[in-house]
Parts: sequence; C-alpha cells; structure tokens
Amino acid sequence: MNYDCIIIGGGIAGLTCGIKCTGEGLRCAIISSGMSALHFSSGSIDLLGSRSGQNVVKEPYAELGRFIEENPGHPYSKCGQDIIQKAFSFFQAEVRAQALVLFSNGDKNHFHVTPIGTLKPTFFSQKSVFNKKIRDAFYRKPKIAIINIEGFRDYYPKMAAVNLKKNRLFKGCEIITGSIVLPGEKLNPKNPHEFRSIDICRIFDSKPDLDKIASRISSIAGNADIVGIPAFLGLNNYNAILKSLREMTGYILYEIPTLPPSILGMRLDNALKARYAELGGVFIAGDRVIGGKILNGRVEYIYTENHPETRLYAPSYVLSTGSFFSGGMISDAEKIQEPVFGLCLEYAKGRQNWHRPAFFHPQSHPFLSFGVKTDEHLNPYGPSGERIGNLFCTGAVLSNYNPVQEGTGSGVAISTGFWAGTQIVQKETGQHTRNHD
Amino acid sequence: MINLENISFDHCIKCTICTGYCPVARVTHLYPGPKQSGPDLERLRIKNPELVDASLKYCNNCKRCEIACASDVKIADIIGRAKWKYSKKRFSLRNILLTRTDLIGRVATFFSPLVNFITRVAAVKFFLDIFLNIPSKRRFPKYAYKTFRGWFQRNKNSQMKFDRSIVYFHGCYVNYNDHDLGKAVVKVLNALNIGVIITREKCCGVPLIANSYLKKAKKQANHNIQILGKAVESSEMKIVSSSSSCAYALKYEYTNLLELDNTRIAGHIVYISEIIYQEFEKGNIPNMKPMKLTAAYHAPCHLERMGGVIYTIGILEKIPGLELKLLHSECCGMSGTYGFKNECYQISQDIGSELFSKIDAIKPDLVITDCETCKWQIEENTGYETIHPVTLLSRAIEKVKRH
Repeated sequence: MNYDCIIIGGGIAGLTCGIKCTGEGLRCAIISSGMSALHFSSGSIDLLGSRSGQNVVKEPYAELGRFIEENPGHPYSKCGQDIIQKAFSFFQAEVRAQALVLFSNGDKNHFHVTPIGTLKPTFFSQKSVFNKKIRDAFYRKPKIAIINIEGFRDYYPKMAAVNLKKNRLFKGCEIITGSIVLPGEKLNPKNPHEFRSIDICRIFDSKPDLDKIASRISSIAGNADIVGIPAFLGLNNYNAILKSLREMTGYILYEIPTLPPSILGMRLDNALKARYAELGGVFIAGDRVIGGKILNGRVEYIYTENHPETRLYAPSYVLSTGSFFSGGMISDAEKIQEPVFGLCLEYAKGRQNWHRPAFFHPQSHPFLSFGVKTDEHLNPYGPSGERIGNLFCTGAVLSNYNPVQEGTGSGVAISTGFWAGTQIVQKETGQHTRNHD
Repeated sequence: MINLENISFDHCIKCTICTGYCPVARVTHLYPGPKQSGPDLERLRIKNPELVDASLKYCNNCKRCEIACASDVKIADIIGRAKWKYSKKRFSLRNILLTRTDLIGRVATFFSPLVNFITRVAAVKFFLDIFLNIPSKRRFPKYAYKTFRGWFQRNKNSQMKFDRSIVYFHGCYVNYNDHDLGKAVVKVLNALNIGVIITREKCCGVPLIANSYLKKAKKQANHNIQILGKAVESSEMKIVSSSSSCAYALKYEYTNLLELDNTRIAGHIVYISEIIYQEFEKGNIPNMKPMKLTAAYHAPCHLERMGGVIYTIGILEKIPGLELKLLHSECCGMSGTYGFKNECYQISQDIGSELFSKIDAIKPDLVITDCETCKWQIEENTGYETIHPVTLLSRAIEKVKRH
C-alpha cells in the first residue's frame, strides 16, 4: 500500500498535519485507533496559557519570543514563532470551511469557564464560549443564570456558581441557578437520570420544540443577561440552534464544557475529519499501527494489528500517537517506551521521579513532559540512537513541554502538526515554504 | 465467585465516547448505549444475573463502539456474551428461521421460484408480521435456484490449471442467494491467475451469534476451523471471503466471542479485496474497460472494524472511468437479522435514514458495498442497484473479453 504520507494517530496533531498535506495535493492516510483526546477537551484551543504555571499570559504572541528563548528544547522553539502563527491561522481557516467558527480576543487570551466554575486562559473558542458580545456583556457586570437540564447527571450548576463567585472577575455579578425539563416524549421513558451529554445533544439535533425550551429557560433566567448551559446544544445543527435560542430568549447563551464526551471537542473533531475527507484524505479508524521497519535512518514501511502482513509504504511518516493515555507511550515499573518504533525518549530515571506526591502540586508532574526526543525538524532518534529523517513526531508524544502547566496542549499539537506537514509538503513537491535555519 | 480472568471491562474509564458513536443509541432511548450495556452493567451482572437489562437486545453488534474506544475495551464482545449468558432463553420460531441459514437455504433453493413468489405475497407477509414478528414492510432476499456449490462442482476442473490457489469461503448468501457474486469472485481470481478451492463449509455463525445461539454457533465454528484448517494445513494458502461479516467472524468472533482456538486458520483469513489489492500492487492487474459510471461506496461496519475499507477503495480506484463517491461510513441499520425483527425495524430504518438521503443526493448509477445485508437495506430504501465491489470488477473485466 503506497501513500505520499502516512500519519499514525488521528487526533488534533495528526489531523492538522493530514489537512495540510492533502490540501497541498499529497495522497495521505491517517491510521487511528480509538477516538482522540479532543473528546475529552474543552473544545477551545490554547496557545500559551501561563508561564511556569503561575502567571496567566495575557498576550501569548507577544510573550512567545521570550518563552522560546527560555525553553530552547520546547516544541514551540522547534517550530518558531512564524510557523506557530501560520499554524493557528491555518487551523482557524480549515475548521471554518466546515462552518465551525473560532473566535479569539484579538491577539490576547480570553478565559473560558470550566465545568466546576473555574476559569482557564485560552486563545480560540467557539462562538458560544467567546465572542465580542460575550466580552462586552461581561464588562457590564451582567446577571448570570446557570441552567441545567433535568436528568443530566454530569453537571452541578450550584457548584459552578459557588466557584465563580469566589473569582474576583465575577465580583458584582449576580449568579442564579436552576434547571429545566426538556419537552417532548423523546425523553428516556425509563430512567430520566441516565442522560449524558451526548444523549441531550442528540435531542437538540433531532429538532426539538425550541420554542418551549426557550420559554422554560426564560422562566428560570428571568432578567439575566447571560445564560450558561452545559455544552450540548447539538453536534450537527449547533449554529442554527444557538441562533434560534438567542433570538427566542434574547439572552447571550454561553456553553460550558462538560465531562466526556465533550460536545465542544467533538464538534472540532467532526470538522477536522470532514475537512480532511473533503480534501481527499484516507482515514482508517479500525486498526492500530504496531510496528515498522527502520533501515539506515529511514522508516521503510509500517504494519498494523489487523493486517500484519500488509506493508504500508510512504516517503514520509508522522507519529501523532499522543501521550500515555492514548498509547503513544507505555510505562512499567522501571522504564517508559514508545511502542511503535522504540524511539529514544527523554524521561527521568527512577519511577519515584516521575510524579510529585500531591496531585495538584504547583510544579505539576514531571511525567507530563516526558516524550520522544526530537531535533529541530521534529525528527526522532531510533533505538540505536540514529536520527530518523523521514519520520516526524507531533503533538503529545513529544518531550520537553508540560501541556497542563503551560496551557499549550492544543497549541503544540496544531503547531507541530502544521510544521511537520509543511516540511513534508516541501520535500514532496520541492516547494519552498520556509528556510528553517 | 467472580472470574478474575475476565475483567477486561475494568479498562473502561467511563468516558461514554462509545455511546457517542453508537448508531442505535443515536436513534432511540430504549438503548442506553454500549458503555452502560457493556462494561457498566457487566459489573452488576457478574454479581447478580437477575440484574440483566432487557435493553441488551437492542445492540446490533455493529462494533462501532470498539472502533471508538480509546481504551481498547471489547465492548461488543462483552455485550454479545452477556446476551447469551444471562438473557432468558425463550423459544422463538422467528429467530430459528432467521439463523438456520443452511437449513432454510437448502430448502428454499430447491423450491426457489415458489419461495420467491410467496415471500412477496402481501397476505403471507401479513401472516409473518402477525405470527412471527417479521416486519411486513421488509423485502426478503431472493433465493437462487439450486446452490453455488453445485455450480462450482460442475466447473471445478477449470480451476486445476492455475499455479496458485486460494480457498474461497463463499458463505450462505453466495451459496443460496447470489450465485453471480460467487461466479464473479472465481472470475476475478482466475483473471489474476489464481485458482479457487471450495471446502464443505457451514454457515460462519454470524446470525447465530447475533441471536445468542452460541452453542450452535460454536459447533459450526469448530466444523469450519477443522475443514478450513485442513485445507490450508502446512501451506501459506489464503482463505478469502467475499462477505465482510463472514471474514470478521472467522478471524475474530471465533476467538474473541466464542473463545475457540482458531489459530489454524486466523492468519490465513483475508477479506477478498485485500488479496486483490495485493495482486494489483504487484502489477498483476487484468485488463479492464472503462466503466463510465458514478458509484457511491458504503463501507460496512464489520469491514470498518477490521480496518479493511482502504483495500476495497484501493481496488475500486483502479477501475478506469469509475467515478467513486465515498459515503463516509455510517451504519446502514440492517445489521444482519436485526432489521428483520419487528421490535427493531423502526430503529433499523431510523439508523439508515441519513445514509439513504446521502445516496439520494448523489444520484449514483449504482451503489457499491461489501456486505449483503447492507445491500438489501440500501436497495430496499433507495431503489438503487447495489452490488459487491468484486461484481463491478468482474463486469469491467468481462467487458474486455467481449470486445
């Protein structure tokens, strides 16, 4: 089986790279086992949230230069500011082609609300999480109503309200809470407390009586300005649902990310996959790459679990398999391994040095920065230490950055995915895109 | 005592992503979704079998939950085994008729003109609906006259002249309903210079598995492992199937669900399009005439689960002139015998409705799919002729011969 480029892993990094490559005319295959971390994400895109986990970064682009200088081994330093900025505009444009619009606060970060009512700095958000109207309303010290749907067991508006009130940004805001019952016989006839986000999302997608829902929201929210609602306003028709509910109620509707499955994250996943397919990319979902042959510093071919005898060939390969949870790395009592190629990893020796005793330790956990060692082209090093020139590593499998502490997870995925894609396109088409040196 | 060897459900982290991709949970709240039906309730079921939930029967075994799972939990297997282990065994004439494909097939092919006539009579359908709970709106697949196996026996001498051979597991559908597909497989493999061997196979057991006749399924599976194992013994010979679900069962369900040792055959089993693709890759491509057709391709769930869709797309792309429109894989809703049950009929139709409207929007000359029951569902609901990829290949090859 021959492609111009084979990407192992179909998360945000792999898809960004795949869209870049197919968009430039390459024949590209993504092999993905299991759904990606986007399903666990807030659906907002972080660029640089905080420095050393302490200070919230206000203007990430302005801060990046210094950040890169201070962290020379960081994936951002390998991409460079120019590529990072291009990657973000590219990503925004590509999901927009699927009618998913991402808003930013100019060049500044904005906050999004977490399910428990804390705030997180981020760079891009969907319309229901950040836009100019939401920002302007916020400065007017609005009255906020947080409304749940009865039967949805993964959200507690009161807890969110209590936590929000603790935040000085919400000083002077009145916050009320309540819940409504969804109309119609589509409700689960047996147990109304079995709803997860996806169940309610499906009810919204199947054209419920929005008029009735709107009037029930109004009866709770009263004279509120902003209505916060768990993020389940549809996977397919969310733009229309949001617009209708806004028009019917007059409130500014705000979607709060939920526990998995995260509908905000799934919208991004859907948009990326649809864009990739639209450009002609091949997506293989039911299989897992289990190994490959490395010869003279090059990956010769790879093979999968279900078709171990079929060799998959391409001049360039991308490893976007994620971190520990996604199976990009596996650990035992003594060591950590990269299971597909056995690549060189960067990690602390001695298991006791992998984590800190307190879960919410201010310095975070060392294991979050463990990963594949790469050069400035994102090329890794094989089992015997040789550099592998046609393999590019992207996203959470990379070492030397702490996505949780820095708020750089999706930003690194997008930037490294785009940087790998750019280099592959350059190699395959001879096109001059950027001289990295 | 809890069987500590069988706690794979413990890998489930309760993220509910599988439910997000479950076609049944998408259209009905009668089914709580694979996470709850599978790993969640398994904990309760092993403690107290009385806690079995009637909603288990709504699982259509499409395996999309397993594709979605990020923690590699074999959700559909947990549900499949629970259906068999804990559900109350009740005699159901309908389920017996739907699952004893060899028995029904042998009788029906003998009287096929009569069978095909009476299964289309409204009164008969009404009767089946009332007394057997088989939806009267369903169209039954037509039975062929006599069997594919009989045709093959009469023509098997022509298969001797090839240097290489392959075992063809034709399955019930080819044997009793669609001889043309079987003949197309033989023709295409012959055009690739590969001879065909057929064994005394029995139904792969997919309908039995889906309806929890696991004892009977094991019996047939053992028979197939023996007979196919013997045919490929101490050789590298492949066993091909032209039905994605048969291939999936032989390779995976036999060991994962039926817990049988199929190592004798597992490494040999390949879905037909992969073998053809590999030959194409080697440059062994027969002459094909341009087809000048627009075809919509629907990838069946079980082929998707095996990661085999790329091979079918790969061979279709080699047919000159064919404009291929990919339908981006959604379950069609038929799921074998599932759509032939009154209690599941509406669910089956609702699941497929998005796919049907996608096909209608494309207005193709024909639809291509690898699975016979997907074919029935699509033909019944869209009216478009739906054929197997190998049938289209054989038409392209045939065209050359005629000219």
